[in-house]
Amino acid sequence: MLNTVLRRGAGFAFLWWVLAEGSTVAWGLGAVAVAACVAASLRLLPPRQGTFSLAALIAFVAFFLWQSMRGGLQVAAMALSPRPGLSPCMLDYPVALPPGPPRLLLVASLGLMPGTVGVRLDDDRLRLHVLDARLPAAAEAKALEAVIARLFGRRTA
Amino acid sequence: MPPWLEYASGTLLVAGAFFYFAGTVGLLRFPDVYTRLHALAKADNLGLGCVLAGLALQAETLAAALKLLLVWPLALAASAGVGYAIARRADALGIAPWTRDKSK
Amino acid sequence: MTGLELPVALFLLANLAAALLRAARGPTAADRMLAALLFGSTGVGVLALLAHAGGGTPLIDVALTLALLAAITGVAFARRAWRAGQPPTKGDDDAPVA
Repeated sequence: MLNTVLRRGAGFAFLWWVLAEGSTVAWGLGAVAVAACVAASLRLLPPRQGTFSLAALIAFVAFFLWQSMRGGLQVAAMALSPRPGLSPCMLDYPVALPPGPPRLLLVASLGLMPGTVGVRLDDDRLRLHVLDARLPAAAEAKALEAVIARLFGRRTA
Repeated sequence: MPPWLEYASGTLLVAGAFFYFAGTVGLLRFPDVYTRLHALAKADNLGLGCVLAGLALQAETLAAALKLLLVWPLALAASAGVGYAIARRADALGIAPWTRDKSK
Repeated sequence: MTGLELPVALFLLANLAAALLRAARGPTAADRMLAALLFGSTGVGVLALLAHAGGGTPLIDVALTLALLAAITGVAFARRAWRAGQPPTKGDDDAPVA
């Protein structure tokens, strides 16, 4: 518990420092804001068991940056090519990640990955719109799921 | 500001402008709402990322640079939420996705 | 300041104008919703550029707030990812519209 409070407090204090652009003029107000944020976060998101690993976070961010760059370049190439090689299709993808934050992060990130946009999520079935049917969309979604599972300290089945 | 930093920043700004432009072209050219969503969600967000990174390189303090970079995840969260809402709405309205065979 | 900020900001504004016209033309309601997406990305980009083109750092706060408010729209969709095993309820906006 104390561990969680300290960790979250440090996180919010860092956020305050960034928002204040390093200025120390209003640190009193900052302390109040940080305390309020920690209290609110404990209420809304109680401490839970689970291993948070910095390595997994870095892996996710790196994967995300690389994939969103690929996604952007791909869609830019399609938009600017004289004959866009579009052959869109719908794909029903079975989601292995549990409901809650992991699933939310999956659907949110898929919108930025190359060639996929989430259309609707019903239970464990996610309908994806794929920009080009020749793309390995399901395999890429699987790879993303694995990275997210590691971030939340779980393994995909 | 050292010249190399200035060049790096300028390059990122121009790259950002390019992605925004590609997103707009995609929006104008792509055949249906789903494909247009791809163009905006991916190209524009990458454009924003490039612009913010380019500006962050010019920031005078580390905190100011991080503040600029903080805008990106927020904008991404917004576009993920709005993008999903648009796709789901289109699906609920019964808008069939454009396919290659249909156009021929 | 590299001197590029203002030209890039104007270029983005031109993009935004063209894209907004396209989105407003439809043809479907979903197309017009794309305008909301445009303000999230292009609007924020223009604000950040203008801050560095001489508008001053308060504009960064405006950009940050705009992005934060836009991010709240994600809440509606977060609900869907959270719950599992529930069929869409009546009155849900998922229900097909005639």
